[in-house]
Amino acid sequence: MQTTLPGEESSLPQAMAFLHGCWESESLPEELLFPFELALEEVFMNVAMHGGRPEGPARVWLELEHSDGRLALSLSDDGPAFDPLAIPTPDLDAPLEERAVGGLGVHLVREMMAGVSYEYRDGRNVLHMWKTL
Amino acid sequence: METTRENTDSAVVLAPAGRLDFAAAAAFQDIIEKTIADAASAKLAVVIDCSGLDYLSSAGLRSFLIGARSAQTAGVKLKVCALQKSVAEVFDVSGFSRILPPLSDRAAALAAL
Repeated sequence: MQTTLPGEESSLPQAMAFLHGCWESESLPEELLFPFELALEEVFMNVAMHGGRPEGPARVWLELEHSDGRLALSLSDDGPAFDPLAIPTPDLDAPLEERAVGGLGVHLVREMMAGVSYEYRDGRNVLHMWKTL
Repeated sequence: METTRENTDSAVVLAPAGRLDFAAAAAFQDIIEKTIADAASAKLAVVIDCSGLDYLSSAGLRSFLIGARSAQTAGVKLKVCALQKSVAEVFDVSGFSRILPPLSDRAAALAAL
């Protein structure tokens, strides 16, 4: 299943609705919904907040593939080339005063997914995130 | 997301219910900061009872982090408790469990003050 939407903050509910629609129509396991919701929010908001161009927001393509015991969500966007996986993991042991929140979203995605990959292909950033069923 | 607030003898208890996502985070942060300010003047602690919290993203974690810093600055004790499984996992993998060690339930949080 796939959908296209503008990469802006106000479109996050639409992105979530796409995910929920996939879960309903394919009767996917309930316990896998939370990690995918979290991954989608984190990567979609990265594009919405940092991935636009002066002329407007990026376009975002979402696709969920369910095959061979694997569930994969890909998020592509036509914003400037940017590899979110290059963001360093924040120091998770830092004391309260020094804790940074930047980079935490991508860290959560890595932790919640079995695998995450990035490529820049045909003028699009493509982020691929998957879990096994 | 809805957040209810009630006072005990020793603490102001906040109970957020629903999804603490990007859209809800700013409002929740305001509630935490206001509650900490009120608790400081009333010489009370703050307990965040997360039993109704179904979802937490990095935007929501930011609210907890800023709340924990405000509490430290104001000299207010802050405890979180009753995390659902998925929310607890977010706390663990982000290292927040070390900053704000979650307690099992509201009674345990009040007893730990």
